[in-house]
Amino acid sequence: MESTVKSTEAAPANGKVPLILGNPTFNTVTETISGIVENKPPRIWWGIFSVAVVLAAMGISMIGYLIWEGTGIWGLNNPVGWGWAIVNFVWWVGIGHAGTLISAILFLLRQRWRTSINRFAEAMTIFAVICALIFPGIHVGRVWMAYYMFPLPNQMGMWPNFRSPLLWDVFAVSTYFIVSLMFWYVGLIPDLATLRDRAKKGVRKYVLAAFSLGWRGANRHWQHYEKAYLLLAGLSTPLVLSVHTVVSFDFAVSQLPGWHTTIFPPYFVAGAIFSGFAMVTTLAIPVRHFFGLKNFITDKHLGNMAMVMLLTGYMVGYAYGCEFFVAWYSGNEYEQFAFINRAFGPYAWAYWTMIFCNVVVPQIFWSKKMRGKPIVLFIASILINVGMWFERFVITVTSLSRDFIPANWDYFSPTIFDVGIYVGTIGIFLSLFLIFLRFLPTIAMAEVKFILPQANPHAHENH
Amino acid sequence: MSSVEKKINQKEYWRSMDQLAETPEFKKFLHREFPEGASELGDPVSRRKFFSIMGASMALAGLASCRRPVEKIVPYVKAPEEVVPGVAKYYASTLPFGLNSYGVLVESHEGRPTKIEGNELHPSTMGASNSWLQASLLDLYDPDRSKYVLNNGNKSSWKKFVAAWEQISADYKESNGEGLAILAKSWSSPTMARLQRAFLKTFPRARWVTYDSISDENKIAGVQLATGSPLVPVYSLEKAKVILSLDADLLLTEPESIRNNKGFASGRRLTSEKDEMNRLYVAEPSYSVTGGMADHRVKIQARQMGAFTAALALELKAQGLSIDVSALSSYKNHSFDTKWLSAVAQDLRTASGQCLVTAGQSLAPEIHALVYAINAALRNNGATVNYYSLVDKALSSQADFSDMTKSIADGSISTLIMLGSNPVYDASAELDFAAAFQKLTHTIHIGMHADETGSQAEWHINGTHALENWGDARAIDGTLSLVQPLIAPLFNGKSETELLHFIASSEEKTAHDIVQETWTNLPGFSNSEKNWRRVLHDGVLKNSALTAMQPQLRMAAISRALTAKPFPTTAAKEDDFDVVFAASASVFDGRFANNGWMQELPDPVTKVTWENVALISVASAKKLGVQSRDVVKLKLATGEIQLPVWVQPGIAENTVVLELGYGHTKLGRIATDAGVNVYPLRSLANSYYSVGGILSAKGTTAKVANTQDHSSMEGRALIREATLDEYRKDPTFAPEMVEHPPLKSMWEDHKYDKGNQWAMAIDLTTCTGCSACTIACQSENNIPIIGKDQVDRGREMHWMRMDRYFSGDEDNPEMATQPVACQHCELAPCEEVCPVAATSHDKEGINVMTYNRCIGTRYCSNNCPYKVRKFNFLNYTNDTPEIVQMAMNPDVTVRFRGVMEKCTYCLQRINEAKRKAKVDNRSLKDGDVVTACQQTCPADAIVFGNILDPESEVSKVRAQNRDYSIIAELNNRPRTTYQAKIRNANPALVEEKKEHAEHV
Repeated sequence: MESTVKSTEAAPANGKVPLILGNPTFNTVTETISGIVENKPPRIWWGIFSVAVVLAAMGISMIGYLIWEGTGIWGLNNPVGWGWAIVNFVWWVGIGHAGTLISAILFLLRQRWRTSINRFAEAMTIFAVICALIFPGIHVGRVWMAYYMFPLPNQMGMWPNFRSPLLWDVFAVSTYFIVSLMFWYVGLIPDLATLRDRAKKGVRKYVLAAFSLGWRGANRHWQHYEKAYLLLAGLSTPLVLSVHTVVSFDFAVSQLPGWHTTIFPPYFVAGAIFSGFAMVTTLAIPVRHFFGLKNFITDKHLGNMAMVMLLTGYMVGYAYGCEFFVAWYSGNEYEQFAFINRAFGPYAWAYWTMIFCNVVVPQIFWSKKMRGKPIVLFIASILINVGMWFERFVITVTSLSRDFIPANWDYFSPTIFDVGIYVGTIGIFLSLFLIFLRFLPTIAMAEVKFILPQANPHAHENH
Repeated sequence: MSSVEKKINQKEYWRSMDQLAETPEFKKFLHREFPEGASELGDPVSRRKFFSIMGASMALAGLASCRRPVEKIVPYVKAPEEVVPGVAKYYASTLPFGLNSYGVLVESHEGRPTKIEGNELHPSTMGASNSWLQASLLDLYDPDRSKYVLNNGNKSSWKKFVAAWEQISADYKESNGEGLAILAKSWSSPTMARLQRAFLKTFPRARWVTYDSISDENKIAGVQLATGSPLVPVYSLEKAKVILSLDADLLLTEPESIRNNKGFASGRRLTSEKDEMNRLYVAEPSYSVTGGMADHRVKIQARQMGAFTAALALELKAQGLSIDVSALSSYKNHSFDTKWLSAVAQDLRTASGQCLVTAGQSLAPEIHALVYAINAALRNNGATVNYYSLVDKALSSQADFSDMTKSIADGSISTLIMLGSNPVYDASAELDFAAAFQKLTHTIHIGMHADETGSQAEWHINGTHALENWGDARAIDGTLSLVQPLIAPLFNGKSETELLHFIASSEEKTAHDIVQETWTNLPGFSNSEKNWRRVLHDGVLKNSALTAMQPQLRMAAISRALTAKPFPTTAAKEDDFDVVFAASASVFDGRFANNGWMQELPDPVTKVTWENVALISVASAKKLGVQSRDVVKLKLATGEIQLPVWVQPGIAENTVVLELGYGHTKLGRIATDAGVNVYPLRSLANSYYSVGGILSAKGTTAKVANTQDHSSMEGRALIREATLDEYRKDPTFAPEMVEHPPLKSMWEDHKYDKGNQWAMAIDLTTCTGCSACTIACQSENNIPIIGKDQVDRGREMHWMRMDRYFSGDEDNPEMATQPVACQHCELAPCEEVCPVAATSHDKEGINVMTYNRCIGTRYCSNNCPYKVRKFNFLNYTNDTPEIVQMAMNPDVTVRFRGVMEKCTYCLQRINEAKRKAKVDNRSLKDGDVVTACQQTCPADAIVFGNILDPESEVSKVRAQNRDYSIIAELNNRPRTTYQAKIRNANPALVEEKKEHAEHV
């Protein structure tokens, strides 16, 4: 009697709506998720994958031409020394943020709903950071000398310039990449072992065996695993804040009006989370649709992500307004001009696109009904990513194109190579992501099992 | 080197070249290397192979002798004790330029000239130069120069030409030259004068025609009208307190611009608010650099310049000046700004004897005559302007040229010899020279290019550059000088003197011997080996200037002429446009059209590169409904053309200004497709403007590469400007113009308190924006040209750029210019952000670039408030032909793609000066280091030196109260400072100026 009462009470205590729908068992979880990897992919996978590979190949060949010919194939000019390459870099790094935020910070905050999306959010992070890392490498004039950026001992006795934010960037982003990769991989080990155990054929079995590091699901394994996972989560958490802070220093530390702004670190981090969640949403909606994962990635997940986007959208909106206020309040004519020029100068179209996508579009998430419609979410999340790209474009290009001396002012127009390489990185990203969907468990099986009611032997007791 | 050694080496060298030249393989090379009409840069493989063979032959001959001229060029201006490889030597020479000639010092590295500078001893350069003199160096190494004697377009040889001439001349010798004509460009040379006499002695009935598309013909005709003798005016602007320029671009495109700049700047330079400065008034239809320097400028339509001058004379008379205006009564009713005229007249009257009225080359002889009369009445003749006889000079004559063309057309001239002329390109369509040309039996052309004319001539002889062959010259004031070659003719060309000597005497002689022969009997020169060497060394024969003439004014003759040919009084209105043909500030009359430096040099006023555009005023553009880059059709009685329009504030209403010298079809790769040839549109009646132009928009737009999109300073304190009165009221206005919080550094500053601390100061009061510094810098620092497309993308590489702003009334704005190169900030923002420390500070305060270390992040450029860092977006030097590489300064690295570059304060010159001082066992003293821009600046607006030396020029200038630095509120502490621009506004006209300003 008592226990029955407790039982009925326990259900709302664990979550008003179950996190995983369809009343799955441990076995159905394993079957559904492993099935994606083990069975033939749906036709749509091949469709998207072939397009993505073509785009990636185009992007890579354009990068080859870029290295052969020089950065002059882009639309850069004398005042505008940084263009799409840097915009894309910041955009991709920003997108990467959601993965780490979901896997590390939400983990530490015991947000159990994260388990359904953390695996592919992390994968997205890794691939986004790979795409991001392409740009600082190729945007320099002499790619073959880019290793000068690293503090390698050399016969010249030269260190890099530790005062340069670009150097901080090198450390920040590479650290971020390595930690994210480790975090992702450690999280994958139990699932890899599951796949290994289910694998029938030779090569697959051996590869999976090698990568699952002899995982047997022993108690000690689990103890070590959980400790390591917690530590890595702790390690990743400050990186979520630091990476984009450092990226923002590239701009904030310089003295260009429009870049030289103390609000940049929090503004960039908020923007990164904003765009990252938008990208997770963009990816999650088709994935759950085509791979039949609606029970795992539920409308609740999407709703939660919409709310995060609404919040961070407000944060960037506040930053846009705040920049204007500070420009006016500073009394600095260059600063004031930089912002008036943004909104009303030759790049006003880019500015207002940004405002529409980043400030106006998220308002739709006030409506619970709209939050529950995947198609609305999908379109809105794409618009937000467009807006966030334009945010970086507005910051980078409009500030440079009209700075201190009017005689220098010049308009930047992209070339086919600016566009092509950007689209190419989207191709690379999608290719990697689709390969990931095919070969690795999209959803963290082991973690999902933790949050199933069956996983909690004391579910019926009131602690 | 000893002469013996040289002799042996020379012989070996030429012998080996000859031997090599005979082999079929080499011939094939030469042909493949320089194919006729190549439109793209040649095949690098064959070029390389060609040069490897060249290199081999040089190695055989010994490095010391490579391409040294055969004659002795012993004198060094700054002579090292012996030849030291890597140590540049300087030779004096002269660059002829029409009636003028400019004495230069040429820097030579191991036998190849690399840089041209002014010769201090020469009256027309006085140590400075202009962009054209600088750019002449690149002309020498023009890969499109003609390399062979051509016979009907086919490769031939001088020997064959000699044989052919023997045949051609035989008939003419019998007929005393009947039917034979020479068409030359104007020159100023005792040798040419002697050869002209010799030619006319051999062929007494032959015609000699001198024709230049832009010349002093009208000016001299005007003086002749006024005085009875053909004299050329030479101005002493340093003595003039008030200057009125009537469409005379004294400071750039008119002859003697260097001398004029020097004089003008010296009358304008201020050391404090207590100094006096000259005042410049300009009335012009176009917008010239001189107009930009004006304290007061009015725009007057080209056709109204005469009436305006008459109105001025009337005003002067009304104010009591003794001048005969009896022929001018019809100009009393005019629509000109009477307040302006009255203020100018009053100013001129007050400064009588210390003022100057000048008229430009383009104005009619009658205007020049009237100007002569005004100057006479103001007692300026002999004071601020002197008149010189035209000794040893050939004066251009449009009438002669027209007559000659008619004689060709009617068959009375059958053989034409053209000395550097290109009449097929630059004759008016009214003459239809090209058709007449076909009627000639024999045509002989000598020139550096097989140009539009040369390529059609029966015989084209590849000419030499002034730096390749001997010659002599007279400066405009008659000062004698020698043209000394720095290098043996690169393509074994012949000079005009060699050709003319051969034609006149049927005897072949080297230019050296021809010139020496002239000088043996030259009046004023006592011929001896020592004196010859002295002239070679100095570059001029001292005290050989002529005495200025003091002719009498013949007012009656002027009045008669004015009555016979009155000035037009009605203005062009509505759809009627005056079409002004102006000299280009870049390619002049077209002679620099295949010069990449000049093509890429932004026009000082419009900032357009690589082409000519139709300049119209803002109001005219509104009326036509066009904007810059819209293509328009321009119809004149002589023909019609299409070209992009460019809206230039300050152009007279209903006026189109077209620049001459563009639109070549045969000159070379650079000139082809650059702009439109407007020469055919000129009328014979008036070469400099036509009336009745009809403009219509085509509805298409063209790509026009201009380097400055934005002409307003947006109220930013970049060029700080005041009138003299305002300056006197508030002498420290410039440094106090920007208020900012106290500037504090985040870390302990480097002291920069030892040794030399370099700094530059640029006086904006004297800077005219002529851009000679830009080209000097380009020449000194191996700055690449990148082509129209890259300029259009905003990637021009000039380390020293010339910012130009307009202010005030949109219809007649004031122009201000500011040369901006790296400011060498002590707390350089670029250095902070470079991730690889490729840009850093040396201990003498110079912001230096380590090209090897640079990886090309461009972060430094983004963080540079001045945007003076230039990035090699592409491999701009990859396609540099080997021959052009010879123009490179070996002291400066040629940059690869992907690296950032910028002004180094001519670090190589600093180091050279240091080495010299060390050899002399002394410390550096002020003036030892002269940067390229400073050296060239004809206004001496740039000062460079050590700021720790309180006696240095730069310290003194920086101590002036006009001294300020730009964007220094960022606490970057630039080492380059500027001296505020002061205009000497006439208080009587200031009110008016303000009224205009309010309209904006």
